[in-house]
Amino acid sequence: MPVIQGFEYFKPKTLNEALHLLSNNRGQASILAGGTDIVVQFKEDLITSKALIDIKGITELSKIEIKEDKLFIGACVTFTDLIESELIKNKFPIIWEASKTVGSVGIRNRATMVGNICSAVPSADSAPALLVYEALVILKNKDGERLVPISDWFIAPKKTGIQKDEIVVGILIHIPKKKYACCYEKLSRYEGEDLAQAGIGILAFEDHYYRIAFCAVGPIPTRAPKLEQFLNGKKITSPIIEEAKKILLEEITPITDIRSSRKYRIHMVKLMFERGLKKVISRLEGGKDA
Amino acid sequence: MPEIQFTLNGERRTVNIEANDILLDVLRDKLGIKSPKCGCDRGDCGACAVLLNGKSVRSCLIFAIEVNEQEITTLEGISKNELSPLQQAFINNNSFQCGYCAPGIIITATELLNKNPHPTREEVKENLSGNLCRCTGYIPIIEAVLEASKRGKNE
Amino acid sequence: MNKLKYVGHPVTRIDSLEKVTGSAQFVDDIDFGPNLLYAEIIESTFAHAIIKNIETSSAERVPDVVKVFTGKDFPYKFGLYMKDRFIFAQDRVRFIGEQVAAVVARNPKAAKIAAKLVKVEYEPLPEVLDQMEALKEDSILIHPDLGDYPHVPWFFPKANTNVAHWRKTRRGNIEKGFEEADVILEDTYTVPRYSHCAIETHVAVGKFDYSGRLTVWASSQSPNVQRNLFSEALSPLGLSHKDIRVITPHVGGGFGGKAGVTMEIMVAAIATKLKGNSVKIRWTREQEFYNTYQRLGVIAKITLGAKKDGTITALDHKLYWDAGAYVEYGANVVNAVGLSATGPYRIANISIDSACVYTNLPPGGPYRGFGYSEFLFGLESHIDRVAKKLGIEPVLFRRINAIKEGDTLAYGAKMNANGLLQAIEKVSKEIKWYEGKIESEDPVKVIGKGFSIFWKAPAMPPNASSSAFLKFNEDASINILVSGMDIGQGYLTVMAQIAAEILSIPPSRIRVERPDTDRNPYEWQTVASHVTWSCGNAVKKAALDAREQIYDLIERTHYLDRDTIYLEDEKVKSRTKPDFELALKDFVINGIQVEDGTFKGGPITGRGTFMPEFTSTDADPETSQGGHPNVHYTVGAAAVILQIDKETGKMKVLKVVEAVDAGKAINPDLVKGQVTGGLMQGLATVLYEDMRFDNKGKMLNPNFTDYKIPTSMDIPDEIVPIIIEVPQPDGPFGARGIGEHTMLPAAPMIANAIEDALGIRIKSMPITAEKVALAILKKGEK
Repeated sequence: MPVIQGFEYFKPKTLNEALHLLSNNRGQASILAGGTDIVVQFKEDLITSKALIDIKGITELSKIEIKEDKLFIGACVTFTDLIESELIKNKFPIIWEASKTVGSVGIRNRATMVGNICSAVPSADSAPALLVYEALVILKNKDGERLVPISDWFIAPKKTGIQKDEIVVGILIHIPKKKYACCYEKLSRYEGEDLAQAGIGILAFEDHYYRIAFCAVGPIPTRAPKLEQFLNGKKITSPIIEEAKKILLEEITPITDIRSSRKYRIHMVKLMFERGLKKVISRLEGGKDA
Repeated sequence: MPEIQFTLNGERRTVNIEANDILLDVLRDKLGIKSPKCGCDRGDCGACAVLLNGKSVRSCLIFAIEVNEQEITTLEGISKNELSPLQQAFINNNSFQCGYCAPGIIITATELLNKNPHPTREEVKENLSGNLCRCTGYIPIIEAVLEASKRGKNE
Repeated sequence: MNKLKYVGHPVTRIDSLEKVTGSAQFVDDIDFGPNLLYAEIIESTFAHAIIKNIETSSAERVPDVVKVFTGKDFPYKFGLYMKDRFIFAQDRVRFIGEQVAAVVARNPKAAKIAAKLVKVEYEPLPEVLDQMEALKEDSILIHPDLGDYPHVPWFFPKANTNVAHWRKTRRGNIEKGFEEADVILEDTYTVPRYSHCAIETHVAVGKFDYSGRLTVWASSQSPNVQRNLFSEALSPLGLSHKDIRVITPHVGGGFGGKAGVTMEIMVAAIATKLKGNSVKIRWTREQEFYNTYQRLGVIAKITLGAKKDGTITALDHKLYWDAGAYVEYGANVVNAVGLSATGPYRIANISIDSACVYTNLPPGGPYRGFGYSEFLFGLESHIDRVAKKLGIEPVLFRRINAIKEGDTLAYGAKMNANGLLQAIEKVSKEIKWYEGKIESEDPVKVIGKGFSIFWKAPAMPPNASSSAFLKFNEDASINILVSGMDIGQGYLTVMAQIAAEILSIPPSRIRVERPDTDRNPYEWQTVASHVTWSCGNAVKKAALDAREQIYDLIERTHYLDRDTIYLEDEKVKSRTKPDFELALKDFVINGIQVEDGTFKGGPITGRGTFMPEFTSTDADPETSQGGHPNVHYTVGAAAVILQIDKETGKMKVLKVVEAVDAGKAINPDLVKGQVTGGLMQGLATVLYEDMRFDNKGKMLNPNFTDYKIPTSMDIPDEIVPIIIEVPQPDGPFGARGIGEHTMLPAAPMIANAIEDALGIRIKSMPITAEKVALAILKKGEK
């Protein structure tokens, strides 16, 4: 049985209450939502906190809703909530697709998308989806609110742009105005639950503009600006894909680790890019998945 | 020592805990509920699955204090009355070998059939994929869930 | 003979209800009350080092800590076949994770906190992590005292080397055999280590009461071996077998990993120093990976010669095993392979060297298959390749050389009755082997077929035995006492079926008790796939013994000739007097009242024992000729249809067929369960699992996050089990074991299917998608 350092547990009912607790325990508190990552970190002695602030009592954080032209995903929204949401399935298919690749039912019933980006492991499945949607991370402290573009959110492995007095209350996504299609391709060692050894999110607009993002092939999940720039305005053809694969290599810095070799990651990212792009184009044209 | 109250298998229970106590340990060591098993202690194996407000969760990844005022169901709760069609189907198919994963699998499959009474084979496989079994190769387990799904409601 | 009523039928497991209701009690589910202590183990952080000093005083000061133990407290050796281990490391550690000390406390948190305060000072030694390095003459010695270690007479350790045992088997004239060959192929195959991954980790509780009796509750396949080794190791304390009690409730999976004695020795030893308390150790998943047995790794060099007509003329098989830091059990894996590495083939000229090499990695030990999966990967890959060189269809090549009843085995004894050719034929037919290549509809994918045959014998001491007690209850239900373990395979149900058949009582009216060494009679251990055969014989004898007592009593009281009476539906009936009928429940406890008002008879209790009386390990150490070490072989065949994505390397098993010769399937449903589960475990070793160590000997993936055992989404689309039944003459109803065998063909048939599909031969396991994809890339670059 692992030993977890003692802490005081709080379950605030309002965000204000939570922010005050955070402020009062400055630097010594952790936020608890689904707990699927943080409990393991506690068990492995990777974190210690004097206070644990459980935000699941704050009802507004469990919402998935459209606010004006934006989608709001609250900090307590689980992957199961996302998968079961018709709104997500129909309007934000890559979020739905990526959510389905996370863990297994018993994990997804608890794990949250916000938790996934707060843990900020290089393999975060949510990241490519949020990156291609150019999502904003909503942060609050007791003095106010700020929005951080997801592209600025990841700083280093397991390190984000959050300040110690802040809580991530949710994610905002602009609903794309143009017609588009997207997909998330994930490399794992088998069909069952696995962490991504490489992940790629692809979003293509009907006017041939593209957004592409990766996870697990660099220290942090990132967009691929050079690759996008090359593709933008172009109709996808085989020579374009071949050319694009070369540029793709400049965008990623995969390593060899226990889960995969650098060589295989590179090989697979190129392949997943090609297959994903074809799939997206096919979807865009209303066809079935290639 | 904080005190929590929650509904455990239909019964109101009160227990004193430390804030850092894990639900699995509290269920097993303080409340005598032994069907959830520890297999990995980090959410990988599913042997500790319980229903929290009807949803299967890893009791090794939850602080006991989080279930204050919530509802927990374990295999003990399912077994209180007569066998569910699912349990009967597991017997009919000789589904389990060592049986250590059985409580977690029954919990997960119960949630599935409650939510989706007539799953496809692929849906069954997908839903059970977080519950590791080393003995059976899963096939007799999948067969049993499909058999039970033909018989109606599972509680 | 009457038609069998229970044997041969897919009877429902007698332990189902316990398992589906959560009632099955595993060791960790037992309450031991407030006097339960928890031990936390301090582990070696070096693969090879001298222990200079252990500082325990700060740990001892932690509240609720009862005591800290180190090797000094228990300077006792133990081991199953060779005494090369200590309860705690003495002056030297030999692998990362080895137990160095234990903190015992009133609660697990205190034990854990205090354990961090125990400071061990090491003087690092060079570590040897590779068996080929360890074999070199100038290698550092891992066991400098190897020459002094007690061991069984059939082991041949070489003092002042890292060779713990070297099994040599020689038959015929190997040079002449190669001279006769038209084709000779030589190559090397590599198999890494694997972990059993039972979902229940090892757990044991020991209690030494004030009267001086030791009780150990253990998650174990081997209660009697445990008692015996506790008694041996703790003999300085004067513990007799009768004063040691081992209780083994439900076990959450074994696969060989819970055979013998590993961590349980610590609770037994610690308990003796803490009278009146119970002491528990439960391994974490991490510890389960690095401080129990692991499957041994092997590098196998095979040279095989064959004639144009397909006759194999010679086999030279050299196997170098990475056996780990302690080989008290693992050396017998090496021994077993050294006797059987011909595979199920008739070969006139044989040379086998199977070398057990110490390394500074965790101890190698028994794992389902006991070395046969490992050598069959190379051999069955090689057979395909030699066939190709000869231009002979690979299944035909196997048929030509398949061993038959009466053929001479590598060690000189004769092969038992078997259905190998039947198995090959049925598998070929089911998989449509001869119906040509399957074209993939998806141009990115290719489909290949692979075939493998297999065999395995139980590896046991020549006098390994089983016994059973059977007792009737007042209502003619039965309790059977045995000491084999139901580790999931369904042993208890099978024992009930055997007794049911003899006594004509349904298995549902029979309870078979889990082992308690105080109460249940002796069983060697539940390993080697031998309990259906061996303990099945004992149970059958016990049931026959009980039946004879019933017949005696009927003869005495009803004057019916025993040859005319029989049992049916829980009654005694007569062939000559159709109206005679006596319910068992009317007399099996209270006897039968006769004319004068007195009672005859009394409780009916059966007793049965079984020991093979034809086995011997007395053989020439240079050739292994002269003995009869194995009781019999179980054989089978399997084939796979494998789909491969040529770009990603991802593989999907579309269909797999496996035929195994069970002699007699006592319960066909359970045999099929073994085929499904065993195949999956075998497929996992080739497709997914991969035990990684760093260059200091630290295991890098001791968790299910990165040691990938299959999920329900990773199973073949279709598994077809085929049961062959060529009776085993000395088996109960003709049965022989099949449990381990089901996983044996998995790895080579995948390798063969990959070659069939892609023309690429992969000679090292595992064969992951990554390995296949990179091999395809490499081929493309050429």
